[in-house]
Amino acid sequence: MSLSRGVRRPIKLLIWAPCPSAVPQLCKMAACRGRRLLWHGRCWFSQDPAAPPPTPAPAPLYPPIVASHTAKSKVAKRRRLELFYQQVHEAATIEEKLRLYGKLQRPKYMVYPQTFALNADRWYQSFTKTVFVPGLPPRAPPAAAKAPEPGAGAAEALEQGTATAGAAASGAAEALQPGAAAPGAATATKPAAEAAAELDLGALRDLACDALLQESFYQNKKRPFLYRDQDHTPAPFLTQLASSFAAFLCKRNPLLAASSLDLNPEINYYWHHGEEVVVHGHRKGRVDPVRFQIDDKPHLQIRVPKQLPEVVPLESDLGDVPVVNHKPSKLPLFKKQYENKVFIGSKVADPCCYGHTQFHLIPDKLNRQRFKVANLEDQIEVVYRANGIASLFAWTAAQAMYQGFWNEADVTRPFVSQAVVTDGKYFAFFCYQLNTLALTAETIQKSSRKNICWGTDSKPLYDVVEDGSVKGFNDEVLLQLVGFLLNRPKEL
Amino acid sequence: MTPFVISFLFGSTPECQFSARDAQDSIRAGMEREGRRGCQLCADSLRCSAHLGFQLHVHSSEHSPTLTKPEENSHLRVFLLLFRGVRQAQWLTKTKLVQGLPAAVLSIAENPAHQLQEQEEAVHRAIAHARLWETTEVAPRREKYCPVLFEDLIHLCRSMSMKYPSLARRMLARNYRIAATWERESTLLQIRGLNGILMNSMTPIPPIASKEEILATKDHVLETFYPISPTIDLQEVIVYQELNDTGFKDGYPYSHPHTLYFLESANNRPNRFRPEQLRAKMLMFAFGNALAKARVLYGNDPQVLEQPIVVQSVGTDGQLFQFLVFQLNTTDLVSNDGIKNLVWIDSDQKLYESAQCVPEVKKRVVTKPTGIYGLQPETFKKFLALYLHGTV
Repeated sequence: MSLSRGVRRPIKLLIWAPCPSAVPQLCKMAACRGRRLLWHGRCWFSQDPAAPPPTPAPAPLYPPIVASHTAKSKVAKRRRLELFYQQVHEAATIEEKLRLYGKLQRPKYMVYPQTFALNADRWYQSFTKTVFVPGLPPRAPPAAAKAPEPGAGAAEALEQGTATAGAAASGAAEALQPGAAAPGAATATKPAAEAAAELDLGALRDLACDALLQESFYQNKKRPFLYRDQDHTPAPFLTQLASSFAAFLCKRNPLLAASSLDLNPEINYYWHHGEEVVVHGHRKGRVDPVRFQIDDKPHLQIRVPKQLPEVVPLESDLGDVPVVNHKPSKLPLFKKQYENKVFIGSKVADPCCYGHTQFHLIPDKLNRQRFKVANLEDQIEVVYRANGIASLFAWTAAQAMYQGFWNEADVTRPFVSQAVVTDGKYFAFFCYQLNTLALTAETIQKSSRKNICWGTDSKPLYDVVEDGSVKGFNDEVLLQLVGFLLNRPKEL
Repeated sequence: MTPFVISFLFGSTPECQFSARDAQDSIRAGMEREGRRGCQLCADSLRCSAHLGFQLHVHSSEHSPTLTKPEENSHLRVFLLLFRGVRQAQWLTKTKLVQGLPAAVLSIAENPAHQLQEQEEAVHRAIAHARLWETTEVAPRREKYCPVLFEDLIHLCRSMSMKYPSLARRMLARNYRIAATWERESTLLQIRGLNGILMNSMTPIPPIASKEEILATKDHVLETFYPISPTIDLQEVIVYQELNDTGFKDGYPYSHPHTLYFLESANNRPNRFRPEQLRAKMLMFAFGNALAKARVLYGNDPQVLEQPIVVQSVGTDGQLFQFLVFQLNTTDLVSNDGIKNLVWIDSDQKLYESAQCVPEVKKRVVTKPTGIYGLQPETFKKFLALYLHGTV
């Protein structure tokens, strides 16, 4: 048998009956020749153990026999795919890598983070292999002890450290401001020694109330344009709030001083997930990956030069990813073919290439009143969750691609970003940790990692604005926002 | 007496500084915006230059008795092309011009304590972000990069609140409307509408010029343009309310206008002001804001203010910066004599020489790689000094 193997010609390969021990060799055609030589070497060893070690195998006389590049066969297709992967792996620059990654254009599903679709958050979780954990992750604040459980974790911890200074400062600040906010319930329990790690909660509350009052009361504005209520008051309020808080908290978080603030940036991400059979057209019957593209425009985002620290280790498993046994078009999602873009808000050359916080504004057509009128009150939270999951997945995945990772070269460290989704009054907070980019049909089986998204329900920041004052200001939401903005790597 | 309104049709007089084509472009742009057709006097097409190329809107009550409500907002377009630029604006606002920024602001700019850490790199990053990195296209257009540059520079300025916490008591207001009325030698003038982005502050800027300098302006003679009237290219409209409105209600905590920012971000030249016209616009609106504030503080009677009001202004088209500091000394504007207002203008400051979005390649060799060339950090120092003025 071994002799016949040695003198075999290529044409006889087709009629040669494979020996059971040679079946594994059949799969690795490129390495066949080398293996066969080694096999011969082993035979010699087993026959004559006392013989001196053989000379190293001579350089192969013939080029390796590999599958064709252009043939119409499954093996040739596999080889073309592997050549493509090799090209992407060996790309000299990140721009080149991104260009090759998105070179082939085919119809793809457009995923909209802000959508009216029912139960869109479960669908989006399945597309992005995300586990949703209610409540925010526990965060270790600098001065106070760790909070016991998620949910009100961030709020509690910060409140313990800041309540004292907050109450004192808020009293003084309110005396100065005639039209300022109704006070929250910040009761001072800790001694004044804690004031060293102070956060001027009163000043922050005043900033927020002043921004709100300016936009909704003091500035003389005309009536809002039809269906453009969000552009009238909540949009400028959110811009003002985010930018003034970021400036105020620069002192405590040096990362914000080096950050870059974008207004209405563009975020794009393109990925494959799952497989489907092409239904019609000249490619009918072929098995294709399901392609998705997110094109998102947050209201405001903060990008930083250093990455946020990981929340949980890379391989953590905090739950299950929902499985949806329907085609994505049932959501409804629609296909279109256009440029495959991957963009975090600025090009690769920008030093601020990691994300910190995004602020999203829910548009008019998705406001709460419409859902209540249509008897879909449980879908209100779905809108916030879908927005948080989809936007943050796109942003973190694009950040990972900017660092050179992609679905064949999975991330070696988790990418963390945060988002605040609001409609002007109700705020919901989300934190996302990207653990894996491997979502294609092949790579998803090899990787057991899951992406994780923590999120809260939407809570109102205030009750009502009337007569130049804000009634019912909610400090908890303020503290969560401040906690988000103060998030930074441990060494800073 | 028919009230005139400040806005903005351009007359192509022989002495004007621009070519006839520029004049026609601007007239055409203005007319298209208003939806008008040709010159009223000769009913010709938009190319009429025989009748000075502008339209007169004379709506007085004798000719159109059916008018029952004021002509609303036809003067709100800020299509300010005062044919003499700053000189005409000086006459209209009874102002004396001083070239260069005041010494107080320049000393803030020179002081190394008032600078950010690694300021040059931060400014370079901000410019590169606006001009190179901010879009998926190869090169962003002015409509995108001008506002982005402004936001980045303001973000850098705001981070100075680390050192000076009272800088947090500032608020930006976009899309606010100003209204101010004043009389100038038997002509009633009015300025109204959306202008720029206003930064308000809780505390006013202290007056810059000393009492002696203010009194010395009595001797200054305003330049006139005989035989041309200084109100030649202003629009005549009937208004029923002589309105003075700062744009904000009473009780607003940030009640003092601090700096006005003008972003000339239109892509095409006819829609974008030239530097001279931009300076004139800045002067007019700074004056309007100061006057509205003075009316609120001191009432409508014309008087010399014992505490002059200072309003600053910065105008840019993404590359060139114009800085202006205006001090309102008097609201007695009817006569040409007496105390005048003061304005300090620093014009045409380049922030950077050029931005190369695509590398220049000659004969397959890269001669000029992508990047920002010719950064001038002094311009940002002045920008920051104007931001810090009043607090520091």
